[in-house]
Formats: sequence, structure tokens, C-alpha cells
Amino acid sequence: MSDELVFMMGKFAARIPTDRLYAKNHMWAQPLRSEAPDPGCAAIPCRFGFSAYAVRLLQDVYFLEWNVDAGSTLAERQEVGAIESSKAESSLYAPAAGTLTTFNEQLLSDPSLINVDTYGQGWLFELVCSTANLLTPEQYLVHLEAAWKVAERTIKGQINED
Amino acid sequence: MARRLTVVVSQGQSANPAKRQLEEDIVAALLFEKGIEVTVVPHLYDLKPDGTGMLALQNIAGDMVVLSWLYPRASFWTLHRFGIKGRMGTTLIEPETDDEDEEDEHQAEAAQAAASAATARDVPNRFIYCLDLRWHTQVQTYVDEIKRIAAEASVPTVQLIEGLTGGGLIIGPASTAAPPSSTSSSTTPHAVAANGAPANGEASDAQAEPAGATVHRVEEQTGRRWYPVIDFDRCTNCMECLDFCLFGVYGVDRFDTILVEQPDNCRKGCPACSRVCPENAIIFPQHKSPAIAGSPEKATGGLKIDLSKLFGAPDEDPMQTAIAERDRELVAAGREAVGASVGIPKRQANRANEPKDELDNLIDQLDELDL
Repeated sequence: MSDELVFMMGKFAARIPTDRLYAKNHMWAQPLRSEAPDPGCAAIPCRFGFSAYAVRLLQDVYFLEWNVDAGSTLAERQEVGAIESSKAESSLYAPAAGTLTTFNEQLLSDPSLINVDTYGQGWLFELVCSTANLLTPEQYLVHLEAAWKVAERTIKGQINED
Repeated sequence: MARRLTVVVSQGQSANPAKRQLEEDIVAALLFEKGIEVTVVPHLYDLKPDGTGMLALQNIAGDMVVLSWLYPRASFWTLHRFGIKGRMGTTLIEPETDDEDEEDEHQAEAAQAAASAATARDVPNRFIYCLDLRWHTQVQTYVDEIKRIAAEASVPTVQLIEGLTGGGLIIGPASTAAPPSSTSSSTTPHAVAANGAPANGEASDAQAEPAGATVHRVEEQTGRRWYPVIDFDRCTNCMECLDFCLFGVYGVDRFDTILVEQPDNCRKGCPACSRVCPENAIIFPQHKSPAIAGSPEKATGGLKIDLSKLFGAPDEDPMQTAIAERDRELVAAGREAVGASVGIPKRQANRANEPKDELDNLIDQLDELDL
């Protein structure tokens, strides 16, 4: 069993496994090849999924749709799809620039896998990308500290003007 | 004799329990309505052209009410694309207002529809009513409207509008009405798995004398699809979509009418041709922008007169967006981006405003003739 960090969202403990990297838009990234030929530069295939933090905010996922095809070249933050859950409807964006190779087809008929097995069978897609801009679990935790404050305000409808 | 009305429930793609519940509650409420048959299919837009779902819908004779999680225009013209044609029925439920003016407007639209060249061909004299399940959360609203339509449909005078379809082609409503229960259940026995409360024995009773609704559930494994749907009430056959799309989606039929010839060539998520269409006649039912997904309004940001650049807008106008979207898909497909060099309509925007010449005057005179 791999180690994990925990981020407290109020009383909820979001598990952050340390066996993978994270993107700022709350996706985990698991390099499918252990070594990059040239660290930080070469693109390597990575599998992406939602972090437990994202899934906690979404809660039950009802519907997932992609509006790009496998094989597409993505720019960072390009819109790639949409999600509907019991708590939210949102567009989804590319966590990094790269080439999207595969979608998890199982999710299209049963998106609840995202809830059931967030860090396993609930993976979203595979993207060949550079891992240079991805965060380590520790860095992601720092990112979450700031993100959670914003999220809390959003949830309470108290976003400051600044 | 009372005509049978078929209610089609097109299931949503979402597993949202509230949505599934609304679908099932409507089906359950209709079980006890006389003269109503219910067919449940997966999401209409995703049905395969030759799949069991589309086959079941094609076998429905007579008037239809289609309930879906789509704009009514999107449902209507998706059905049209698959040869399921009729006149657009007037529904009295609307997202917000449902007053008399709306009704008049719809009737005017329907009249206009009958006159348009592309739709006048092969349109059977039956009505297709499309209701959007996103309009209301109340089951009863839909059930009441379906009952109202059922009552309306059973009044023959409403139906006997002589169409422009030519005498031989008019399928009299009464003649299609008589055998619908037998045609629909005999032609699709293997395609349609009847399930739920009424067992097979009961369904055959229904053939003998119309009783409560029978429910046909079509199980079809559908994948997500993405293709344009043309609204032929709006389409003027200008061919700008054909010129613009470089993926070979569009073609023409033997009457030189535009059609979506190769829907599967369409690039997922790309709505560029819809932005280019001067009549906003191209619908992508799954696009998140209502004007592209088939909302009733025509987009205000159309291309007819584009002044945005004049007022200093950056590349925000629909044409620039469409060009960018097309280039992205071209590159994704391993081809060269073409920018604005291919398939862009020439609308003489750059022409200087000169005094009218003789030809202009002649055209003006022709326009003034009340033909």
C-alpha cells in the first residue's frame, strides 16, 4: 500500500497518494513509464484522473462528456469536455499541453467509477505530456491550502471582489 | 375512431437520478392513458442510423410526441435526418410563457415551414410534437400536455390540412391511424423488448381494442456521437457550410439540396460550420452554446452584417472563431491549417459604396415586383 498525504476539507479527509504527481486543476497524473529520457523536457505518457479533493467537491458524478477526439493535440487549459455531478456542472480543461491518446471509455457509460475508485479505475484519460509543470504531492498540498480557501468562499457564495 | 398517439421518451445521457426519475414517472403516468403508446429509446441523437432504436422510431405511424433532453428544434431535425418526418406540432408548454401569442407564432412558423422547398418534399401529413424535458421538473406538466395533444390529435379537422406534398403523396391521417398498433408491434418484435408491467399477452389485447398504453423499451448500446443537424426551415441551401467544412461532412442530394452526407467525418466538439451558417440553421445538439444547440432564437451575433471588426473587436466574431476551430481540427488531423484562405463566403464587405449602376437598378425593380 502506497503512502498518502491527507488534506482536510473541513471534516473530510482527502487522500493524496504519494505515488504520483498532480496538476493544478486537481487532477492526479501517473507517468506510465518510470523514466523520462531527459527529465523535465521529454514528453511521456501519463494517466490522469481527478484528485480526491476534486471528487469531494463534485460528489456523485452523473455525466461526463469529451469534446475532443483521442489523438488530439491539446494546449494547456484547452477545454476538453464537461462534467455533471450532484453538486456541479462544469467544463473540463487540459491539465497540460500534449497529445491525448486514450479516454477511459468505461466512464462514458458509468461515470460513478470516478467516485468508487478515484485513483484507480476512475482515471479519465492518458496524455503524452511533459511532467515539468506538474506538482509533487507535497507541492499539491501547498496548492490545496490556497485553493481550499477560495473553494470555501465559493461554496458559501462569499467571493471577495479583489 | 380515436387515433393513437405515440409518445417517445428519449433518455438523457446523464445518470442524474432526478432526470431518470422524471422520465420514468412520465412513462408510468401514461400507462393508464387510453390511445397512447410509449416508446423509450436511448438518447435520440446518439442512436445509430441502422440501429434498433431508429428502426423502432421509423416504424411509428401517426402523430408523435417526443420528450427529450434537447431543444425541440434539435429533436425535430434529428428525427428528420433519419427520415422520421412530419409537421412540427404546436406545444403549449414553454419554459416560461405560454400565452396565445406564442401559439400564433408557432402556427405562422408551421405555415412557413410547409412552404419551404426542402421540407415540402416527402413530408407526411402527421404532427411531431417535441417537448424539452429541461423545461419543467413537474411530471404532471408533461402528462397534461400529452393528454391535451392526444385530444387534439383525435380531432380529424385539425389534421386535414391539404399539404403541398401533391395528391398522391398525402397519407390520410385516418388511414395511417387505423392500424398503427399492429404495424408498430408487428414490424419490430425483435427490435423492441417490451418490458415493464404489461406482459406480452396484454400487449396483444391492446391490438384488438385500444386500452392503456403499451411501453416499448428499446435497448441499444449507444456511443456518443457528434454531427451537424440541418434545420431545413431555416436553411436556404446557400452551400456556405459545404464550402467551409474541409472534412467532407456535407454533400448534396439528387435535387442539389444540402445534406449531411458523412456525419462521422465530423470533428468532435467542432461547431465551426454552425457559426458560418448565415441562417443559423446548423444545429449541434450537444454544444453548450444554446444558439448552436438549437435554441429557438436566432443568434444575434450572426454573420449577415459584421460590424464588430469595424468597432475594434479582436478575433471574437463568429467567422474568426470558426476559422480557428477549423484550423485546430485540421492540425489535429495531421493536415495544414488554412486560415481564411479556403471556403470563406464572399460578402463584398470590402466593396466601396458606389452609386447604383444599371444592373443594380434592374435588380431593385425585380425586387419591387410583387411576385
